[in-house]
Amino acid sequence: MKTALANRMTPYLFLAPAGIVLVAALLYPIGYMIYASFLDWNPSQRIGEADWVGLRNYVNLLGDAAFRESFGVTIKFAAIVVTLEMVLGVGLALLLDRNLRGMSILRTLFILPMMIAPIVVGLMWRYMYHPTVGIFNRTLENIGLSSVPWLSDGGWAFTSIIIADVWQWTPFIFILSLAALQSLPQSAIEASRIDGASPWQTILYVKLPLMMPVLIVTALLRLIDAFKVLEVILVLTNGGPGLSTEILSLRIARTASEFRELGVAAAMSNFLLILLLVLTVAMYLYGKAAELRAARLRAAAEEAA
Amino acid sequence: MTLTFKTCAAALAASVSLGSIAAAQDVPAPYQPYAGTTLVVNFPAHPHYNAAMKVLPEFTEQTGIEVEVDQLQYLKMRERQTLELTKDEGDYDLISYVVFSKADYVFADQLENLARYFMNPKLADPNYDAADLIDGYVQNIGVAGGQKGYLPGPTGSLYGIPFGSETSVLGYRTDIFEKHGLEVPETYDALLELACQIPELEPGMGGLASRAASGHQASHAFLLHLNPLGGGIFDDAWEPIVNNEAGVEAANALKSIVDCGIEGSQTFGPSEAAAAFAQGDYAMFLDSIAFAATFEDETNSQVVGNVGWALHPEGVKRASQTGGFGIAIPKNAQNKEAAFLLMQWLTSKEADLMIAMEGGNPSRFSTYENAELNAKYPYAATFGEALQYADPDWRPIIPTWGKINADLGTTLSQIITEDLDVQEGLDGVAERSRAIMDEAGYYTWN
Repeated sequence: MKTALANRMTPYLFLAPAGIVLVAALLYPIGYMIYASFLDWNPSQRIGEADWVGLRNYVNLLGDAAFRESFGVTIKFAAIVVTLEMVLGVGLALLLDRNLRGMSILRTLFILPMMIAPIVVGLMWRYMYHPTVGIFNRTLENIGLSSVPWLSDGGWAFTSIIIADVWQWTPFIFILSLAALQSLPQSAIEASRIDGASPWQTILYVKLPLMMPVLIVTALLRLIDAFKVLEVILVLTNGGPGLSTEILSLRIARTASEFRELGVAAAMSNFLLILLLVLTVAMYLYGKAAELRAARLRAAAEEAA
Repeated sequence: MTLTFKTCAAALAASVSLGSIAAAQDVPAPYQPYAGTTLVVNFPAHPHYNAAMKVLPEFTEQTGIEVEVDQLQYLKMRERQTLELTKDEGDYDLISYVVFSKADYVFADQLENLARYFMNPKLADPNYDAADLIDGYVQNIGVAGGQKGYLPGPTGSLYGIPFGSETSVLGYRTDIFEKHGLEVPETYDALLELACQIPELEPGMGGLASRAASGHQASHAFLLHLNPLGGGIFDDAWEPIVNNEAGVEAANALKSIVDCGIEGSQTFGPSEAAAAFAQGDYAMFLDSIAFAATFEDETNSQVVGNVGWALHPEGVKRASQTGGFGIAIPKNAQNKEAAFLLMQWLTSKEADLMIAMEGGNPSRFSTYENAELNAKYPYAATFGEALQYADPDWRPIIPTWGKINADLGTTLSQIITEDLDVQEGLDGVAERSRAIMDEAGYYTWN
């Protein structure tokens, strides 16, 4: 009897350390944040001294024009950078998926931008965007064009942070896509070639569909990251001019430190968390649906055979 | 961009390491019980504090008390302190705080009331001469609990002492003004006209270097103009009046100053504005006195010897900035008495002069009158005069200011860069400020 119980408990015993770590390291902070989002808590107070305000922080946020604008900026920023980075990254990977001399050096060079600390990236770009001594405006003036207000005009500032982000994170998509490309089954590619597919057709109908699972995960990772990017924008524009580049993570940081409203900052983080969860679940469902469809097609094909 | 570096100032004093215990007999009696103590202080990266750090070894030598300095960029310093002050036992014995932190710290009961130290005969120096401390600064930075809560008044008491306080003055290029026969502007009309006239006279040069970056900086620049033009953020009943005629005039002034500046001036913070003036890109500079010494430093400035100083121009009244820093003892400090001794020493006549000679901002009238200082920094007399017009009610120092300040600053940035209508923008600020104040309970008695 006792042995049976011990036997049944064994797996849980082995799982316990992982479970404890999970609860302590993941669930506790998230629970803490969710709890804090119901409080009117300023950083000069201990959490126990803060007043319980129920859903007030959430309701106020929904009515706060600055928060809504910042939410909009974040979504626009994430959508644009991830699209650009996917197109460029996958394009580069397709272009460089061949045996070139010095390929390993080239690959290392390509991934350098993402190895640089974000603060440094921000500073670097800030100097390049400098209105009078920056390389961009100097070059523009040297070839006789008028200079551009890179960081001092709302529209341009938004473009500038996109350029910096695309520069830094395209390599991430590139190396993952390249790895995916190089692990594709050669038989499928060979088969398509024998069937007379042109290189473009091979890419469109064979390579990309086969890479799709990796690409979806990559895009998702980038998307999550893009929603949380902070340092580069903090250094480049600090959210300005106006609110034109104030993405949500920056607004959260300012709410906590400048406005001294930890409860509101926690509520904002929860909104961001919910948004990311929705995206992740949507991606997951899409993947599942695609899998089911493929299975159905395969079954149909087998039946027909 | 945190400027974090720990400097063991004490280590600089060669005499200390071996001599402190042996020399205990040489240490004046009030300091003897504390000789050998190490104080940890939190200072901002700021010209005044850089000067103060050069003088700290002298304190160690005189008293045997060692000082370790944690220096941070000033907005980061405020964040760090917010966390430090809520701990049971704090790491800092003495902190420097930005003037608007006074509201938060005092309201949260995190600073020592200084009365009990000045009452203690073993600690208080009878020759301290508190009347010599610049009154406007003491009221603005040190006192809380009087009128409107943050101003001096019969119910107020002292929580900090001004150290690195500042007011605003107008710097101008004497060479440029001479070349075109220009007169130093005395009034706001003259200032604004000149600001836009200079780019025409000197192509490529901006009129008046000003902060303008979205957020705190734009708001600060706006306040510089708002007060002399007769405006304010709130009236006496805490109703927002930022959108009245004077407010609109001040916002228009800021916009026209930025429009007549050089490219990229829409994103200037104080250091960028000062750097542009030091590089010779501007003919005028309206900001804190703290930058004056840097313009005479040949390693960073190309305008050495060509900078003149004048009072902050007059609108409907003279009202220059009160701001900068003070020093205070946290409630959770571990060496409060020794920290008080350091605080008293740093703001004493002797040390105030030493720090001023190194390029710091004096906290005492007597320092401004000192002949030696006036010989080294000829502008000291003008700065001393400017202090008479420093307005202690320059900005509301209340716990909700952080949020209102940020909202005002982003709206002004939209006015400057996105052509948002001035009246519409300020109306929005007033409306949102009222909601913030209402929520914080400022209308409870109405």
